[in-house]
Amino acid sequence: MRRTMLLVCAGVLAVAGVRVAAHHAFGAEFDPNAPVRLQGKIVRLEWVNPHTWIHMEITKGDAKEVWAVEGGTPNTLLRRGLTRDTLTIGTEIIVDGYQTKDHSLKRANGRDVTFTDGRKIFMGSSGTGAPRDGRDPTETTKKPGGR
Amino acid sequence: MRSALGGLIAGMLSGAVLMSLGIGAEPGLAQQSAATAIPRTAAGRPDLNGLWQALNTANYDIQAHTARPAMAMRPGPVVPIPARDVIALGAIGAVPSGTGVVVGDELPYLPEALAQKKKNQESWLTLDPEIKCYLPGVPRANYMPFPFQIFQSDTAFFMAYEYAGAVRNVFLSNPGPAPVDSWMGQSWGRWDGDTFVVESSGFNDQTWFDRSGNHHSEQMTVVERYTMTDRDHIQYEATITDPKVFSRPWTMRMPLYRHVNAEARLGQFKCVEFVEELMFGQYRKVPAR
Amino acid sequence: MLHRCTRAIRALLVVLATGWALTPASGQAPSPGTAATTLPRTADGRPDLQGTWSNATITPIDRPEGAPPVYTEAQARRLERGYADRVERLAQPSDPNRTAPPQGGDGSTGAAGNVGGYNNFWVDPGDRVAVVNGQYRTSLIVDPPNGRVPALTDAGRRKAAARAEQFRTRGGEYDHPEFRPLAERCLMSFGSNAGPPMLPNYFYNNNYQIVQTKDHVMILAEMVHDVRIIRMNATAHPPAHIRPWMGDSIGRWEGDTLVVETTNFHPLQVFRGASDTLKVIERFTRVDADTIVYRFTIDDLDTWVAPWGGEVPFRRTDEQVFEYACHEGNYALANILSGARAQEREAATKKQNR
Repeated sequence: MRRTMLLVCAGVLAVAGVRVAAHHAFGAEFDPNAPVRLQGKIVRLEWVNPHTWIHMEITKGDAKEVWAVEGGTPNTLLRRGLTRDTLTIGTEIIVDGYQTKDHSLKRANGRDVTFTDGRKIFMGSSGTGAPRDGRDPTETTKKPGGR
Repeated sequence: MRSALGGLIAGMLSGAVLMSLGIGAEPGLAQQSAATAIPRTAAGRPDLNGLWQALNTANYDIQAHTARPAMAMRPGPVVPIPARDVIALGAIGAVPSGTGVVVGDELPYLPEALAQKKKNQESWLTLDPEIKCYLPGVPRANYMPFPFQIFQSDTAFFMAYEYAGAVRNVFLSNPGPAPVDSWMGQSWGRWDGDTFVVESSGFNDQTWFDRSGNHHSEQMTVVERYTMTDRDHIQYEATITDPKVFSRPWTMRMPLYRHVNAEARLGQFKCVEFVEELMFGQYRKVPAR
Repeated sequence: MLHRCTRAIRALLVVLATGWALTPASGQAPSPGTAATTLPRTADGRPDLQGTWSNATITPIDRPEGAPPVYTEAQARRLERGYADRVERLAQPSDPNRTAPPQGGDGSTGAAGNVGGYNNFWVDPGDRVAVVNGQYRTSLIVDPPNGRVPALTDAGRRKAAARAEQFRTRGGEYDHPEFRPLAERCLMSFGSNAGPPMLPNYFYNNNYQIVQTKDHVMILAEMVHDVRIIRMNATAHPPAHIRPWMGDSIGRWEGDTLVVETTNFHPLQVFRGASDTLKVIERFTRVDADTIVYRFTIDDLDTWVAPWGGEVPFRRTDEQVFEYACHEGNYALANILSGARAQEREAATKKQNR
């Protein structure tokens, strides 16, 4: 039993290690010493590759600032039946992340992006709060008809 | 299922109509022999498999135009001269003439959109997406000065473009509205006799029709018609509808020519690498001299 | 217990080695009445490989330290459940009153969280252990049987050292766009999606479309909309100085298996340190309605002491391959380079002000 768990653990860790190495350097774009917390309304969505960008307007004292928050590939979300319209302009979100190394830019990675009640944005299309993992029979993916 | 003979007759008739219109005239259609007859798939459809390319200057300007010194010009001491950025190219940077591919040679721009076209022309070097090796969109991909290859099977129709490695998968039934805007749009096709009709939508507003600043919005839809007139020619038509930019739909028309050299192959023009100095050179630690 | 376990593992290794040693029947036309005829075929009688496929899996390419060649079904299910649990856990709501994340990073790895990371809902790395011939594989590499890349040759070791030295002396990793990884420049995907070999990247978009005609097989890899055109029954690769991305591929049928040989790789597309003599051989066998078993062999005796390779199940999917226009939206590369310049300027200013 213990050996099984050992092997299983080794497998999971190894894959996690592979994943880190396979993707581009995570620390290349953002500054570990510049953590941010942003709260504000979405003003624009760039549903593009390699990274989606969510533009949000925050209030800093009397002034307003527009920040661009980097996400992942939209293709993953499209396969879950989500579209750009799933997240509407004007929706208020909370973002925590790290600013770009170039501090003259108001850009940050969306380490954790949620609605104001804490729910993650862009969850499964069925709205159960869980991404599609095959366990929710009511969750469907929009599939183009025929090829 | 159309018979091979029926297809031949249809091809000859459409060829005759086109000849009388003076568009895409293909000599010798009346003498089509087995050697030049339209190849067909097992299911009897025209077989569009192969390497194709347009032979015109539509990519410079889809409307009729005379030759001129350069795409980007500036006032000169006597007449306009090439812009500083392109002058070193000399005759290679000059623009060849063309008779245009737009039926009626008129683009029915709405006033604001026409003003945008002029702005596009004035700032061509910074605005033409082709300069940055961005995906060319539809229908421009079909008349770039590079070949494209059609892969047609009974269950798929796929177009691979040499330019920037652009691709279009053409669904064989209507998948419904595109879930997202894209550079190459979402396409689906069906047969109308011997013509393959492709409907495309879901475009972003980032691509142009040519280097002359002709543009569209994200509302654009395109209907293309691919009709083989003989083994080595496709008569190609594209009708553009974009109520945000044009007051009515308009059509472009041109032949597509098969690369008949047995050694012909789709080359590779992954130009993203070629524009790195242009787009990112300013960020080098030490700028290139 | 230990003795029985090692005996079982040795037996499994023998089975695995034997399975690998089997070569497919060559030059035979498909014969009627065999199980193979129940699989879809194209008009010319060949197995139909067309459609959309995914090679996403949680099985890594290289075998983890201490792992046997295969998991038991129970082990595989436990691994998969662990993954599903992790997905569920990372989907839970966060504290709306949370502050900014910790200075210096939060220590997490992978795509979720941390500096430059993002929510787990963005990724789709695969949720299943790779199954080939009914075996739950612990690695995609199965040749050699230990599931790991063989040793480098002397030349391979010298080249690796030279590359490391060049990397060390050429300057900072952010000095020029050419110093950045191919994926960051949007030239190819990260990992080796188009390859060849065509391997999953353990993040997302591990999708492919295959179209098959009489003279060609076209394979589209979602990232970066890369098209491989395999010329069927061609007799020669281009001259050695012609080196396109993804190399030049020639295909032929050996019975019901599509065999593809690729050479002439682009000088910047260096698969795990391979030399310019790299030859990749791929074998595609559709084993059932929903699966193509993809076997790859890396043949580069300049670099490794022996050829090596593996097996990857490609599973049929109803999903669409979406456009991955990378360069057109590549703000990240500009941010990375300008960020490095900004930090250098900051450091220079601090130095001046001392």
